[in-house]
Amino acid sequence: MNYLPILKIEDLCTYFYSRSKQAFIRSVDHVGLQIAKGQTLGLVGESGSGKSVTALSIMGLVRGEPGVISGSIELNTPEGGINLLQGLGLHVRIHRDNGRIMQVAKDADAWEKTADRNLRGIRGKQIAMIFQDPKNAMNPFVAVGRQIAEAVRLNTAVAGHREARARALHWLAQVRIDSPQLRYHNNPHGLSGGMCQRAMIAMALAAEPVVLIADEPTTGLDATIQSHIVDLMGDLKDELALTTLLISHDIDVIRSLADTVAVMYGGTIMQQGPVQAVLGDTGTQHPYTAALLDSIPDQRLIRSKGYLQAIRGDVLDTMNIPAGCRFYPRCNKVDDTIRAQCRDQEPALINIAGGHRVRCWRFAQARPYSGRAAVHAMQRN
Amino acid sequence: MQTSALKPIARLLTKELLIAVLLLLGVSLVVFFILYLAPGNPFATLAGKRAGSNWHQIQDNEPSGAWYAQYLHWLGRVVQGDLGHSTRSGLPVFNEVIKTGLNTAFLTIGSILLTLLLAVPIAVYTARKGLTAIGWGLTAGSYILAALPSFWFGYIVIYICIHQFGVFPLAFGADASQWRGIYFLLPVLVLGLCSGTLSEMVRYLREELSRVLTEDYIRTARAKGASIWKHALREGFVLPVTEMVAAKIPFVLGGAVVVEQVFNWPGMGRLAWQAAQDRDFPMIMGITLMAAVFVRTGSLIKQVVHICVNPRASQE
Ligand SMILES: Nc1ncnc2c1ncn2[C@@H]1O[C@H](COP(=O)(O)OP(=O)(O)O)[C@@H](O)[C@H]1O
Ligand code: SF4
Ligand SMILES: [Mg+2]
Repeated sequence: MNYLPILKIEDLCTYFYSRSKQAFIRSVDHVGLQIAKGQTLGLVGESGSGKSVTALSIMGLVRGEPGVISGSIELNTPEGGINLLQGLGLHVRIHRDNGRIMQVAKDADAWEKTADRNLRGIRGKQIAMIFQDPKNAMNPFVAVGRQIAEAVRLNTAVAGHREARARALHWLAQVRIDSPQLRYHNNPHGLSGGMCQRAMIAMALAAEPVVLIADEPTTGLDATIQSHIVDLMGDLKDELALTTLLISHDIDVIRSLADTVAVMYGGTIMQQGPVQAVLGDTGTQHPYTAALLDSIPDQRLIRSKGYLQAIRGDVLDTMNIPAGCRFYPRCNKVDDTIRAQCRDQEPALINIAGGHRVRCWRFAQARPYSGRAAVHAMQRN
Repeated sequence: MQTSALKPIARLLTKELLIAVLLLLGVSLVVFFILYLAPGNPFATLAGKRAGSNWHQIQDNEPSGAWYAQYLHWLGRVVQGDLGHSTRSGLPVFNEVIKTGLNTAFLTIGSILLTLLLAVPIAVYTARKGLTAIGWGLTAGSYILAALPSFWFGYIVIYICIHQFGVFPLAFGADASQWRGIYFLLPVLVLGLCSGTLSEMVRYLREELSRVLTEDYIRTARAKGASIWKHALREGFVLPVTEMVAAKIPFVLGGAVVVEQVFNWPGMGRLAWQAAQDRDFPMIMGITLMAAVFVRTGSLIKQVVHICVNPRASQE
């Protein structure tokens, strides 16, 4: 593996301020991720665990006045590295009183300006994004071909309309759309859901980005169409050596496409590492990951609804993160030896084998360590 | 888009034509019937001057008959392009209606443009910045202006003109050289500000634009580095503006009756007012038809714009 990660996120926090509750909604809470060149990182977790907000934070597209975004998001391209969050912290002051957040004073204009400056030439160009629900995520009033051509003109050296059109047709063919010449002129609503998602992928690829972010690219599509899109993305990954952040609540999708995976819960990473180690049959799963895997049969049913909540109990309310482990209220792997710790103290994300990290007291203890299977899995990898 | 829009537009035009014919028939029938029922003998006013006891007799010495027979008679002449003559002035209704109709079209279009000129910047500003102090002030201002009664505001404007500037806007029409003078802008100003349209326009445009700015495809536009305004233009601006203009034409026409009266503007509204007072039936009928054509034209333009913006809209 090439070890200068292209995208390196450290300690990312994206908090929304709730004025009425005088507290932060900690949608993303101290998240660290990295993606190496040509690799796909899968980000998996129940709905509401903060996956989309993570992606939007990278793109500088978080809406609704986040109270704070902090940490660093480093993009390393051949031209050098840049921190996309540089200087944002200067524009926010948080007034606390007795643990309550009384006020978040923010110079929104300056914040916006700094974020835009950081992202100039990066958003859309170096990092492109594919969204869920392509029919609404593409402009319903404009032919898809023209939208792709626009991405070409804005983000590549191709400036002429005619050449951009030719490139757009090329990308439509690249995503295996039949008769691109005809489809070029269709509005999103004139295409089927699967076609439309292909067009959206074409639009993202048309920018020839360094990093591709795909947020739930298969959610909401029919099962057969989902597998076609997964196949397409697999092919494109090989053909174009894409570096991808793939977000899905669908473990099967992640398993088919990702090289490494991060499991997110309540705004933070519970487990991360190579796909085989994290999602394989190794016995070294975080209790949350294990619960997700157990729920896969249900997941198949639930997939059509595009919403996952298959594990007993409620998704964490990130305004009231407990002192101990975030998963404690729902965890069925707590035993008496660790109960007090689980309840009172948040476990750290510790490395149990090369690049395989778990945030759980079961793995943090000096107890007989069951990481050997994981090591095997890594070697097979 | 250009070519794909042609077919739906052709289809729309045929449909609209049909609707327009039915509408004109319906409206004229209703108005005719109301006139027939109008209290007091509507023909009495002129009875002293001319012989006859119904309006066709007055004009054409036609035999009287049941109201529907009279209606059919009127309709038969309209189909041949003859709207009859004013019972008051004796002038041909068609010419009068066209002449005053153009003046009124001028007034309403001018005032709607003025309303847009004010409403659009306020709406865009507040949609973009939220209700800041300035945005709030502008919005409140537009509500206050729109709430002013146009006759009252009209008289205030005239009063100011006479007493502050020593000019007489009422002199309009007396002197052809004043056609292009400031006088002609005053009624446009009053109608544009006070027809009640301004505040609604601001509110509707702002709501639509704000809504569109939160749409998924606008986020996508940002994600690909494109201008969100360019992508929001069609749904967030062109559609609501045409929607509003078409919806407001009847109200502005209503407002024009008052403003034309106040400013002595030789438009259809003033003519309608006079015709109603004189019970000048052929004229009232002619104006009725013309007003219906106005309103329908607004709606037609709106629909054509909709099709051009979104060719599929007409098919769904
Ligand atoms: N603009 C916002 N304001 C307040 N809370 C938000 C906002 N966007 C997302 N959240 C909250 O952040 C949490 C994570 O959301 P999200 O990242 O969309 O989850 P998912 O993992 O399903 O993509 C959710 O609880 C959501 O309610
Ligand atoms: S730390 Fe405790 S509560 Fe949390 S996942 Fe591990 S066993 Fe469960
Ligand atoms: Mg999501």
